[in-house]
Amino acid sequence: MAKARTRKTSTRRNTGSRKKTSPARRRRSSRKGLPPWLRFLGLALALVAFVGGFVAASYVVRLDRVVVAKFAGKPFRVPSRVFSAPTIVYPGLDQHLVDLRGTLVRLGYRESSDTKNLAPGRFVWSSGRVRVHLRAFEHPTRREPARDVVFRLSGNIIEEIREFPGGREVGAVQIEPEQIGAYYGPNREQRDLVTLDEVPDHLIDAVLAVEDQRFQSHPGIDLRRIGGAMLANLRAGRVAQGGSTLTQQLVKNFFLTPERTLKRKMQEAVMALLVEVRYDKAAILTAYLNEIYFGQRGPTAIHGVGEATRLYFGKKPRELQVEESALLAAIIQSPNGLSPHRGSERALKRRNLVLELMHEQGRIDAATLERSRAIGLHLASISPDPGDARYFLDLLRRQLAEGYDSEVLTSDGLQIYSTLDRRLQRIAANSLRGGIEQLEKRYPKLKRDDPAKAVQGCLVAMRPQTGELLALVGGRSYGVSQFDRCTQARRPTGSVFKPFVYIAALEPVRGRPAITLADFLDDSPLEISTSQGAWRPENYDRKFNGRVHVREAIERSLNVATARLANDIGIARVADVARRLGIESRLPLVPSLSLGTADVSPIEIARAYATIASGGIRPETQTIEDLVDASGQTLERRRLHFERVLAPGTAFLATSLLAGVADRGTAKGVRGTGLRGPIAAKTGTTDGERDLWFVGFTPELVAVVWIGFDEPESVGVPSSVGALPIWRKFVKEATGGRIRGAFMRPKDVESVEIEPSTGARALPGCPTHHPEYFLAGTAPEQTCPDRPERRRRHREETERGFMKWLRRNF
Amino acid sequence: MVAAQFLSETRRRVPSIARLALLALLAGFAVACATGVGPRLSRTQPLRISEVAGHGDATRRASTRLVLNGLESSPPEQGLFDYERAIQIDPTNPYAYLALAAFEVQWGDLEQGVELLAQSELLLESEGLKSPRVEPHLIGLRGRSMLRGYDDVERRAGESWLDEARRMAPEVWGDGWLGVAELR
Repeated sequence: MAKARTRKTSTRRNTGSRKKTSPARRRRSSRKGLPPWLRFLGLALALVAFVGGFVAASYVVRLDRVVVAKFAGKPFRVPSRVFSAPTIVYPGLDQHLVDLRGTLVRLGYRESSDTKNLAPGRFVWSSGRVRVHLRAFEHPTRREPARDVVFRLSGNIIEEIREFPGGREVGAVQIEPEQIGAYYGPNREQRDLVTLDEVPDHLIDAVLAVEDQRFQSHPGIDLRRIGGAMLANLRAGRVAQGGSTLTQQLVKNFFLTPERTLKRKMQEAVMALLVEVRYDKAAILTAYLNEIYFGQRGPTAIHGVGEATRLYFGKKPRELQVEESALLAAIIQSPNGLSPHRGSERALKRRNLVLELMHEQGRIDAATLERSRAIGLHLASISPDPGDARYFLDLLRRQLAEGYDSEVLTSDGLQIYSTLDRRLQRIAANSLRGGIEQLEKRYPKLKRDDPAKAVQGCLVAMRPQTGELLALVGGRSYGVSQFDRCTQARRPTGSVFKPFVYIAALEPVRGRPAITLADFLDDSPLEISTSQGAWRPENYDRKFNGRVHVREAIERSLNVATARLANDIGIARVADVARRLGIESRLPLVPSLSLGTADVSPIEIARAYATIASGGIRPETQTIEDLVDASGQTLERRRLHFERVLAPGTAFLATSLLAGVADRGTAKGVRGTGLRGPIAAKTGTTDGERDLWFVGFTPELVAVVWIGFDEPESVGVPSSVGALPIWRKFVKEATGGRIRGAFMRPKDVESVEIEPSTGARALPGCPTHHPEYFLAGTAPEQTCPDRPERRRRHREETERGFMKWLRRNF
Repeated sequence: MVAAQFLSETRRRVPSIARLALLALLAGFAVACATGVGPRLSRTQPLRISEVAGHGDATRRASTRLVLNGLESSPPEQGLFDYERAIQIDPTNPYAYLALAAFEVQWGDLEQGVELLAQSELLLESEGLKSPRVEPHLIGLRGRSMLRGYDDVERRAGESWLDEARRMAPEVWGDGWLGVAELR
C-alpha cells in the first residue's frame, strides 16, 4: 500500500503543479487512493444495487402489467342468469293458480304492516285485500315501472286490481320473472355488477367506517392502521386485527392467494400502491364493491354488494336502508360466520357496531343511529338454488351452446328469459317424484337399493299453440342422475304412436279419407310377412275382437286393428304423418312401427301431440323468450313460429278420438279425481311393460309422462297404473281442477247422427243413433232405416208439416 | 212443388191490395238500398277489438286487454310483445292472433302472418264469433297477403280481395291498409 501511495505521489510531481490539477482529476486521484478491496466492495455493492434495482424494477413492472391487465380487461366473471316466464295477474284469476304469495316471497318481497309508506318490494296481506308495491322490471323491450297496486280478493279470486293511490283500474299486472338458475364459471361465483351511482352513500359509508376509514387519504397502504393492528395483535397474542386497506383486500382477492406469508403481504402492499397510482379512488371502490365476498349459498360463492343485496334483502342496492347497508358492511369481515341466515344475534351485534362506528366517524347523525339500531334484521326469503329446474337449465345450456361459447355464458352476465313456468315446474317435479314413490310403495318389487338403478321417469309440459316449454323434469332426482329422460332418452313409444296411424287414415288423400269415424276395423288375427319372417301382432289381453268401430279400436288401444289399418294405408304414410307432426327420430318403415316400436323421445311426442291440440299447427319448441347482454341490449328475441302441417278438420277428428280415449277408453282414469273439462289422451305400454307412457292435452296444455328403468326391464304394470296418475295429479294441480276452453271445431267438420251398429246416417225412425263427426262431404250416404218407402214417407211428412205451418201463419 | 203451393196459397188468402202494398214496400226498400239512402246490405261496420274487450271469461278479457295495449303501442312493432303475451295467457283468443296477423301480413313475416290469419279465422269459427263485422278484416288481410306474393295471378287475386274489403268497409280499407287504430 505504501509503495503504491509513493508511486502516485511521484506521478503527480512529474505532471506539474497541484494548483493546475482539475477537480475531476482530483476525484480520480482520491479513488486511486482507495484500497483495492474497498474499491472491489464498492463495485460489488454497486453491482448488487444495480442488479437488485433492475430485478425490483422488473418485478414492479411485471406486477404493474398484471394490475393493468386485470383492470383494463374483464375484471369480473359474471355468470349468465336464467329467469322463468313472468307471472301475469289479472282480475278474475284464482290467486292460487299463480301462487301469488309464494311468488312474491320467492322474489324477495317482504310482508309489511306499514300501510302508509309501502316501499317497492313490500306487500301487505290482509283479509280480502293484498297491497303490493311492485318493483320495476328492467328490460330493454318490456320494461315495467314500479307501481303500488291493490288486489281485492273474493275468496281466492282476484276481483279487481287498482293502482294505489288514485284507484285507477288495472287490466293486468306483470310480476317480474324469477331467477331459476345461472351458468357459473369454474369458481361458481355469483355476482350482480353495480356502478358507484347505483350504490347509496350510506352503504359506502358503512363499508369505509368498518373496513377502511382513511380510504380517501391513504396511498394504498395505511401505516397507522398497520401499526395499530400490530399492537393489537401483540397484546392479544394472536392475529386479532387486520391492517389491510380496501385496496389491499381488493388486490388480495383479485390477484393473490389467501396464504399468510411475508412474501405475499409484500406483494400485496406493492400491488396496492400500484393500483392507487394507476387508478382513482372511485374505480378502486367500484371494483371492491363488486368483488367483495359475501359468503356461500350452497355451492355458489356470493360476490359483490349487488348480489348480496338481492340475496339478503331481495332488492336493488339503491333501495337499501341505512341499517341494511350496515348489516352488509358488518358481514364482510366473516361472511359465513356472521351470516344473518345462520346466527342473527352475532350479525345484529356487529351491525350495531358498524352503525356506532358510522356515528363516531360523523357519517350518520345520532337520530339515524338510534332509529337504525332499533330495527331488527328483516331478511328476504330468496328461493334457494334452482333444484328441480336443473334439467331445464341443462337443456337450455345445450341449446345455447350452438350460438354462445361456454366462456361467454359463464362470464358475460347475460340475462336469459326462459319460457319455464316456475309454478308448473314445481308441480311437475312433485307429481313425478310423488307418483313414482307411490308406485314403489304399491309394488315393493320395483324398489332398488341402488338409487342409480331405481325406477325412473320424466314429465314434460308444453303450451300447444306456441310450443313454449312450461315444465321439464328429466328424472326423479337430479342429484342421482343428470341424464334427462325427456330430451336425451329415446324409447319405444308403444300405443302413444297409434294416433298417427288414425290421422294418416282420416286425412283425405285426393279428396277422400281412407276411413271415417263411422267405419269399422277388422280386429281378427293378422299375419304380415316381413324380411325377418311373419309378424303376428296381438292385443294387450291376447284376444281378438272381430269387427270393431274406429273409436272402439283406439279407445281400447287394439293393436291388431290398428296394425291392419296401418298396413292397408301404407306404413310410409304413417311415418310421414309422424314426421310432419314433429317426430324427428328415425322411423324404420316396418309394419310394427304402427304399434310404436320406433325409439322416440318424450319431448318429440309432446310436440307431435301439441300439433294435434293446436288444430294442425306445428309449433317450434321454445325454451327462450329473449336474451339480454350485461349492458341491457337485446341479443336475441325468439318469436313464436307457426307452421300448418295438418288440416284443422283432421286435427279435430284426431282430437275427438283421443277425447273418447279419455272419456271411455284406456285413459278414462284421468277423470278419476273429478277432473272435468275437455281432455284428450292416450296411454302407451310397450312389450313386457318396460316403458309406460301417458300423453294428454287440454285446449291449453299438453303433457307427457314416461316411466321405466334406465336399463330396460319390466315395470310390471300398465301405463294407466304407472303413468296416468302422475299426469292426472299434474294437470289437476296445474289447472286447479278447472280446465278452460274447448277443442277447436272447424266449420268443415259436421256432426251427423249415425246408427252405431251399421255406421249408417240415422234418420227419424232409426232405433239407435248418436252424433259423430265427419269432414264435410264424407258422412255416410247409406241411411237408417234404409228403405226407399220410409224415406218417401218421411219426405211427405216434412212437406205436410210445412204446409200446415204456412196455413196457420198466412 | 212446395214453392208453387206456397204462391197459390198466398194468392188465395192475401187480398190483392195488401199484395200490392207489400210489393211497393219491397220496391221502395230496394231503391233506397241501391241509392244509398237506406241501409246498405253489403256494407258493415267493421269490428273493433275494444268492442269485445269485455267478452268472455276473466282470462279472455285480460288477454284481449293486452291486445288493446299492443294496438296502442307506437311504433306498431312494440305491440308484438303484448300480442304474444295475450296468446300465452289465452292461447285460444282469436283477436290476439288477428292483431298479430295484421302486423305480420302487412309489415312482418308474411308466411307467419298467413298462418296466424288462418288460425284466427279458425278460432273465430269454432267459437261462433265469425260475424260479418270481422269479415272485412279477414278478407282485407287475405288480399294484402296475396299482394305480397310473387306471381301476378296471386297479386291480381289479392287486389280483388282487397277491393271486396274496400267495398265492405271503405272507412277501414279505403287506403288499402288495416291500421292499428282501425283494429283497436
